[in-house]
Amino acid sequence: MKKKTLIEIWGDVVAVKSLVISILVITVTTMGAHLLAPRDDRTLGLFFGLGGAILGFVIMTLTLKPKRHVIDEEAAHRD
Amino acid sequence: MIELGLLGLMVVAALSAVLIYTVVGFVPGTDETSVLYPISLALVLTGAHPMIVLTFFIASIVTLNLTNAMPTALVCLPGGVMSSPMIEHAIGIKAKGRSAEIIPKMAAASAIGVAISVPVALIIANLIIPFAQNIRDYAAYLFVFGAIFLSLTSRHKALSLASIIPLAMLFMSLRHLYWGIGAVPETQVVTVSFFLGITIGPLLVSLFRLMNRGMLKAVEVDDHKTITVPADTNQKRTLNPFKVLTKEERRHASLSALIANFLFVLSPVGLTILIGQAAGARAKREEDRADVTMTSMSALIQATYMSGIIIPLLALGLALSPVALGPGAALFNTPPYFTVENNIHHILTGWQFTVVVVLGAGMAMTLSYLLISRYAKPITMFILRRIPHEAVLGVFVAFIVLLAYMDAGLINIFGVLLVGLVCGTLNKMGVNYGVQFMSLYAAPTLIGFLLGVF
Repeated sequence: MKKKTLIEIWGDVVAVKSLVISILVITVTTMGAHLLAPRDDRTLGLFFGLGGAILGFVIMTLTLKPKRHVIDEEAAHRD
Repeated sequence: MIELGLLGLMVVAALSAVLIYTVVGFVPGTDETSVLYPISLALVLTGAHPMIVLTFFIASIVTLNLTNAMPTALVCLPGGVMSSPMIEHAIGIKAKGRSAEIIPKMAAASAIGVAISVPVALIIANLIIPFAQNIRDYAAYLFVFGAIFLSLTSRHKALSLASIIPLAMLFMSLRHLYWGIGAVPETQVVTVSFFLGITIGPLLVSLFRLMNRGMLKAVEVDDHKTITVPADTNQKRTLNPFKVLTKEERRHASLSALIANFLFVLSPVGLTILIGQAAGARAKREEDRADVTMTSMSALIQATYMSGIIIPLLALGLALSPVALGPGAALFNTPPYFTVENNIHHILTGWQFTVVVVLGAGMAMTLSYLLISRYAKPITMFILRRIPHEAVLGVFVAFIVLLAYMDAGLINIFGVLLVGLVCGTLNKMGVNYGVQFMSLYAAPTLIGFLLGVF
């Protein structure tokens, strides 16, 4: 398996490829939903857009794994 | 009098704000303006009653400011821009294994910050009201003075001063381009999406650098980020905010919060650093310094935001503070619901305003205080294990694209990109957000000066 390129950006670690995919997917769901709303209704347009952003966020959250090793000190002590 | 139905809706608004921003606040790296503005804008655009809008907004900032401090204290990742100055102290406290101790202290100090700044800001606002018309007459010049003043108080004075007019040129040239090609009618002044462009600038610059192979190599890391979440030892501790803090911490937090109210026109993050470090430096014992700084900063974050929104909104109806210009912009100017001549300032009476602020801040503070004191750790664990940073950054970019498009169509997506790249580059060089925001608002006046119209 080819090793992923990991980078640190804004205080956390991400994989470059996942970052690009994530930005594309969420932007597409957001704008897609926004364009589905009636053109003359600014309120619905914003709501559809925000809804699309949430949808994209959920999709990416379910498909990507956070690039963090989380160690719970409490659990470590109990062992 | 407020009717019961409206009061019920205000309670619902405050509860929703607490729920939404507890979750958002725990996600590391969520910039305050980018998460506060779109949701409050959405609420304004529904045509909701101004009292509901204001309750929601006040509850949002109180909750967000408190929960943002949690990832900071627990895992040393800043929850937002405001908690970034705490990081160095958070690292020291964590190294000593005292994170679980500092969290209730920060929550208590945060409560003190709200409890002091709400009444003080309301009093200051009432004192300013008689002079409001004079201040409004000079508002255009105030932004110019603001840009100069913030430059002179920043770390890179000459650099900031030198950036003001070029930035004004950038904003005005985009506006004139849009008017010239008919992207927006000449009555529409594109502002909010430029504002968000400034906010997201540093992230955009970081993303653009990734497209340069050499710069990509520079930020490359070998492995995932290792984050240890400290054990939560004293679950059964007291919830009384006064017993959690030492006398010294209480005194510094209260005093810091009080001072911040009078400086509401200055940048909240700047004030938090300035006053917070000063409070820490005055701690009697060296080993208490980090705790005093962290608790004072927690109080300051709330106080700067509360005064920054309450005073301009109640006294002036003009967005004359960085908080009002940024996260709170929707409350001042969202045509047709709110305009510069008719916004929450003009619609609500002083009494209604006071009830709303006290109710919103009180409910949010109580609820999020209880939530934090009990569940800070499980929520942090959940977010760290489940929410990928890629998705968070993706949502930011998508928000900006959406709001840019809604403001002035497809062309403005690239306009905002241009604003972001210029402002982000200047930001990384040392021109702070405050100077950039003020330049945006002063832009028409500045360009007028250049033409000799004045």
